Parts: sequence; structure tokens; C-alpha cells
Amino acid sequence: MASTASQRALDYLEGLPGTTFTRLYQQPSTALAIFRRMLPHLAKTIVMAMLYMPEPLTANSLDAWVKPDADSVGVKDRALSILQRLRILEEEGRAYKLAAAFAKSLRMALTGGGNHRSFGVPCSTPDEKPVSVDYLDTFARKQWESILYYVVGSANTELAAAEDISAGTKQLLQKGSFVTIRGRAATITDTGFTFLLQEVNAQIWTLLIVYLEVSSELQMDPVDVLSFLFTLGSLELGTSYATTNLTPTQQQMLDDLTDFGLVYRRTPDSTRYYPTRLATTLTSDAPALPNSSLSSTTTTDITAGAPQTVSQQQNEKGYIIVETNYRLYAYTNSPLLISILSLFSNLQTRYPNLVTAKITKASVLSAINTGISSQQIIAYLTTHAHPVLRHATPILPPTVVDQIRLWQIEGERMTAWKGFLIKDVGSDKDYEKAVQYAEALGVLRKEFRAKGWFFVTRMDQMSGYFKSQNARRRQEAAAAAAAAGQEGGSSAT
Amino acid sequence: MNVVDATDRTEKQDEAEAPSLLTIILDTNPHAWNLLADTLPLSKAVANLLVFINAHLAINHANRVAVLASHSERAEWLYPTPAHSQENGAAKGSHQDGEDVDMGEEGSSAGQGGPVQSPDDANKYRPFAHVEHAILTNLRRLMSTTTPESLSSTPATMIAGALTLALSYISKQSQSQPAANMTSQFNYSDPTSVAGGNELNPSDSSKHHAALGLSSRILILSVSGDLANQYIPIMNAIFACQRLDIPLDILKLAGDTVFLQQAADASGGIYMALDDAQARAGLLQYLMFAYLPDQGAREHLIVPGEGEGVDFRAACFCHRRIVDIGYVCSICLSIFCEPLADGTCLTCGSHLKLSGYGQRPAVVPKKKKKKKRALEAGGMETPGSEGGTPAPA
Repeated sequence: MASTASQRALDYLEGLPGTTFTRLYQQPSTALAIFRRMLPHLAKTIVMAMLYMPEPLTANSLDAWVKPDADSVGVKDRALSILQRLRILEEEGRAYKLAAAFAKSLRMALTGGGNHRSFGVPCSTPDEKPVSVDYLDTFARKQWESILYYVVGSANTELAAAEDISAGTKQLLQKGSFVTIRGRAATITDTGFTFLLQEVNAQIWTLLIVYLEVSSELQMDPVDVLSFLFTLGSLELGTSYATTNLTPTQQQMLDDLTDFGLVYRRTPDSTRYYPTRLATTLTSDAPALPNSSLSSTTTTDITAGAPQTVSQQQNEKGYIIVETNYRLYAYTNSPLLISILSLFSNLQTRYPNLVTAKITKASVLSAINTGISSQQIIAYLTTHAHPVLRHATPILPPTVVDQIRLWQIEGERMTAWKGFLIKDVGSDKDYEKAVQYAEALGVLRKEFRAKGWFFVTRMDQMSGYFKSQNARRRQEAAAAAAAAGQEGGSSAT
Repeated sequence: MNVVDATDRTEKQDEAEAPSLLTIILDTNPHAWNLLADTLPLSKAVANLLVFINAHLAINHANRVAVLASHSERAEWLYPTPAHSQENGAAKGSHQDGEDVDMGEEGSSAGQGGPVQSPDDANKYRPFAHVEHAILTNLRRLMSTTTPESLSSTPATMIAGALTLALSYISKQSQSQPAANMTSQFNYSDPTSVAGGNELNPSDSSKHHAALGLSSRILILSVSGDLANQYIPIMNAIFACQRLDIPLDILKLAGDTVFLQQAADASGGIYMALDDAQARAGLLQYLMFAYLPDQGAREHLIVPGEGEGVDFRAACFCHRRIVDIGYVCSICLSIFCEPLADGTCLTCGSHLKLSGYGQRPAVVPKKKKKKKRALEAGGMETPGSEGGTPAPA
């Protein structure tokens, strides 16, 4: 699934060299997490179908399996493209096969067995004072919100002294340019605003990717770091795990992760650690921080069908009501949420449990000037819409949504894309084919048909395509030449 | 031509697919498995099935699974573990409709590892371990509580009961699923209408099925043949599936089950029969390739079994015989293999009159003939045989 959170992780992973992938895929938990989190749906289906296949799947059989309409073929090409980018699928002539390390690890994840211990080693002895899930949730929320406070607080000075966070986290936030230090006080940047408006899960990934980038500078092995993160995602909430099996790098990570609120340890040298909900939802779509009611539904609760979970899910997010007259009512008393709202709306009245605000052109434009996009505002309002609004489709009043977009478009007449301009493709037919291929991959941005140029956002697969085209042309040319030679020979005799 | 304009960026969709609930009905009929013992023993089939279940759970974090055993004289939950099965699991009678499993309570207790606790193993993903452990424990309990007497009393299997249980579970689960997810709500302002932008972005195409809440499907792993005596409840379940848009996938390892093929056909599911030993050896590959894709993925795939001939024969309501041509009550559409004794429909009680069976249709009906009840009309099966029709079962 291509949600924003996993998109971030995907972009990071793609930048890794191939050898890193091979090492990453040694761990079944990593293989499972990447499979579950990063792949589009059809790609998962293809991987599972090939997992127990003794021979490589030929491209022809794959084409025969997928419906021939343009839509499905496009979905298939995109799935294959992501699989190849993540080095899961290898092309062998006209056939595909799964990368050996990945296939082995995924099979092991499904069947169990082996001695990799990548799903976390639970403590053999029970904790004398067991830590409840409620406590873990409160801890995670406190830690994470204090980070957010720090980022927001740099915008609203009256909030700044709310909570203090560790020096390491502060440095990390600067490295990721969420805040910049001006004089002595930290000031929020446009990246910081973007960060604030994301969902909690995406926020964590954003921060963790900065962490990954920093960690390689500190001589920490990114494979170690990544596989520990994926292991955390597969742990069970409310269970304590032993630190004894961890590598030194991972031991070191535990301290930082405790600062973020992903892991709870009673004392910094304790031999057991508890993953919090922030950690266990890393590789899933479940909400990471239950908003109002601190519930005890574990993320592993696959059978969560009891009525009370429904009401929880409704409570978990959703406190904003938007009316067609641009008025906004937010049922909250949290200073954090209120200051986030104030980023793009004019606050009007504050009651003990309710804030009223108005979305105006001035407020939206000031948000856009600080680097927030209309899309982010709308996404934020949608994800946090009150259950009352959720009954209607669309959730938000269309007039408001359109107007917010129009306010942004007013100021922006140009969009810049980074990419590659391809020209001199060859004959019209070749050009047509190449453009179609690019479109199926979803990388085509613009074509200049008259000039025989087109513009794509990614090049790696297009270059592969051109290579194979060239090879085929050469083959055909060779075959034609051979045939011609023979004909010539026969006529001569 | 592609138009690069500002409206393009509104289309970044969150393509999270809907969670899917897979309900598996495992036919555990001991008679049938005994016949299969040399090619595919039950233990091996269950091992394959567990890998398949794990694969399903691995695909999406929110995916759920439920497993039912359709045993020889009752249908039993294997996963999730019913709350009261420890106390009176053995005492359960053969009356499968009588048990009212309280799935609401049970859902939460099984999730937290209530009744069956799995061993801690660092080499296994915990949710997988929970599911496997629960299924194996319950299956073992089911087998150990099967008595020789109950086995000898019936050679059949309780597919109808299991189907009914599965449907009630699915409906409960889909009600508890929050209905609309927000991802589908974004298409109200079509980019084309805003700025005249021409949109050719192919990423738009797959948004429509994100609107589904919980997509459910049923997989029946069938080994038993003759199910004619459960024709009516099975057909009712099939129609319920059809209405609820639940595909019934059938994987037949043995036996000849006409109705299950109809079930797959009517509900848009997949029907495959693994008849020889070689095909059965590849059970896991069949499962992973054909049965793992859920509704979302099937939109893009060519599913097996399409275009095969389906046997549409029905079983009569009076003797459960499978018939090619029968008699149908004009009021309630019940099917009978032979004319009724007193002209009263066994299902709805309507008074029916049957006249002139086997006669050639005449343009002008002869009113006089009606009284004679067509005894001499045709030499074949006639109402004259009414003495032989037994009373309704």
C-alpha cells in the first residue's frame, strides 16, 4: 500500500545499494515487514503465487494471468516496477524469479522455524511489576507529544516551555531541518510544518529516516538499524523482550528509541524492554496513538470485532467539524492540537472542551506561505474529521475543500518536476511504444509529440527498456542479415 | 496530450486496500479423509492450509481469518476459539443449529490469547503462532471427542451448518467494521472540472474498490461427495452469499459435489477439483496461486475455472434425489421428483393440481379429459404412482 508513511520508507530503501538488500532480507521479520508494508496489492499477490513455485515464472504466463485490459496491465507493470526497485524480483531472460534471500526469509516467516530470532526474544521470566498497556500508551504519547511540542513550540513561543526533550532528539530535529536554530531559540521550518500535519505513523517514519541517515554518519550499520526497526514492528504490545540478543548498535538504539517513546525501559540499563504502540504499529496501518480513550486492544488482535473496538476507532481520530460557511469546531483542549489548528485557521473562541475557528483566505494563504500545502490542510481535516461528519460522503463540505485548493492555485501557476527528457527515440512506432511503456509505469509526465520528445520522472527502468529494445533490434538485424546472406548465396549458385 | 497543471497533485491517493476476512470451511469428514490417507493425509493438508492462512494474514495487517470444521455430525469453530467450548465442547449434541456461539465476547478473548495460549517462540511471528496454535488445539480436541458411534451413524458432513455459521460470523464482523473509509471520499471535485485539466494519470483507476469496508470470502475445502440431503440449507446459504457479494471458493479434493460447483458459479467464486494424486501433492501451490488473491486483486487477474461447464442439476425436496427434470410448485418453486400424493406442496402447503402430464400440448384444451386425471395419457411416470409416494420427511 502506498500510504504516505510507507512511501517515505520506500524512497529511502530504494536509495540503498543492492548488497544492503541482500543482507536486509536475511531476516524473516524484515522480509515480512517489507512485503506487508511497501508493496502494492497486486505485487503481494504475485509474490505469494511465486513463493512456492519451483521454476521461474515466465513473462508470458504472467501476462496470461493478468487481465488484458489497459488498466490491469498498468497495475501489473507498476507492481513489477516496485518489486524490481526493491530487489525482490529478478529478471532472467524472459522470466521472473524471486530473489533467493527474500524468498527464503519470507517462507521462513510463514512457516516458522530456523534460528534467526528476528521476531524478538521475549523475556523468559515474568516482570515482577508488569507494565500495563495503558501505561505504555501514556508513556508513548507523552514522549511523542513532547517532541511535537518542541517543534510547534518553536512557532508559538508561549507553548515552548511545556516539555523538554533530550539533546539528541533536538539535534535530530535540526538535522532533519524541522527546526533551525536562530540565536538561541529554535524556529520551525516548512519541513517542520509538513511534519506536524502528517499522521502519527508518517511522522515516526519521517523522524526515523532522518535517524537512519544520521546513524550511518555515526558508523552505525544501517542494516542493523533497519532490521531492528522492522523487528520492533512485529513485536507484541504489552510483552517484555530481552535485550541480551541485541547487537551493540541495537543496544545503542534502544536509548534513542526510548527518547522517541517507541520503546519503554524502566531504567536505562534494564535487561528488558517493552515496545509501545508507536513501535508495534510501525509496519501496519493501525492508528499509532489512540487519541481519547486509552484502550487495551493490542495490534495483534486480528479478531478485533467486538463492538467496543468500533467506538474506539471512532474516538481515536476525529474531533473537527467543518461547516460549509468555513467555520470550524474542534472538540479538544489539547494545546498541541489547538496550535496546529492555528497554523491554518483564525481561532475565535475557546471553551473548556471546544475551540471555534474560521478558515479564511488570509489564514490559508499565511499557511501556504510558511510551506504548508492545501493538500496537507485538507488531509489533516479529513483524517481528523468528527464521526458526525464521517456519515456524509464526501466528509468535508466540497465548497470549503475546493476553495482551499483554489486559494493555493491562485498563487501557483507553475510546478517543477525533476526528471529526464528523452529525445531521438527513433521511428514514430518506437516513440509510440516507448511513451506507452512510460505511461504504464506511471513515470510519464509530459510528451512533446511534435518534436518526438517526452519527459519522465524516473529513468532506471526506461533505460532498461531501451537497452532491451536495442538488443532486440540488433538481433532482428542480425537475423535479417543472415537471411539475406543465405538468399544471396542461393541465388548465386 | 498530458497537461502539466497544478491540479495534478490532488490525485495522490492513499491506495490502502480494504481489509479482507477469509473464512475457511475445512471438511473434516473422517470417512473421506480415510480414503485420501495415502495421497494426502489430513495432517499434511492442514499444514499446507496453515501456510496459506499465514500468507493471507501477511498480505495486510488488518486481514482476518476464521476457520470452521465441517465434521461428520456437527460444525465446529476451529478459529477463533468459541468462548464456551472448553466447558461443554464434548457435550455438544449433533444438532448443529442449536448452538448459538457468542462471537462478540469470543472475538476479544481469543485475540488476547484467552483460551489457548501459544508458546513463546522468537522465530515465529506472534500472530501467526497464535492462529496456528488455536487451530491445531481445537482440531485435536474435535478429533478426540469424535466417538465411533457418531461416526458410524452418518457418512456425510455438515457443510450446510458450517456455511450458516460462517455467514453469521461474516455478517457480525462486517457490521463491526467502521463503514466508510476516508480514502474514497476525495473524488468529489474532479480535477477536470476545476481547471479544464486533461487527466491521463493512470494512478486514478484503482480507487473505486477502496470504498469497501471489509471484503469477505469463504473457502470450502471439500472432500465429501453426496450432499443431496442438505440441498435446501446449502442453496439458501448460496443465495445469501450471492446477495452479500461473498464469493464462495471451492477446492475439491475428492468426491463429487454438484451443489458446491453451483455455489462457486452463483457467487462468483473459484471452483477447482484436484482429482489425481499429483494435483493433490501441489495443494499449497494451488492455494497460493488461485485462492489467495482477494476480491481487489481478482479485478486484475484472470481467475481459474471461468467458462467451464457447470452442472446445474438440483435435488428434489421430497427424497433428496438429484433430478434432471422434476416438478416445481408454482407458488414457492420447490422441486419434487414425482407428483405429490394429495396435491399439497410439502413446503408451502398450497393445493396444486396436476393435469395432463405427458400429454401433447393441445391448442384447444378438452375440458372433459381433466376429470380423468390423465391416467391413460402417457405411459411414463404419471400421477398414478401416487400410492408409492412416501409422506413428507
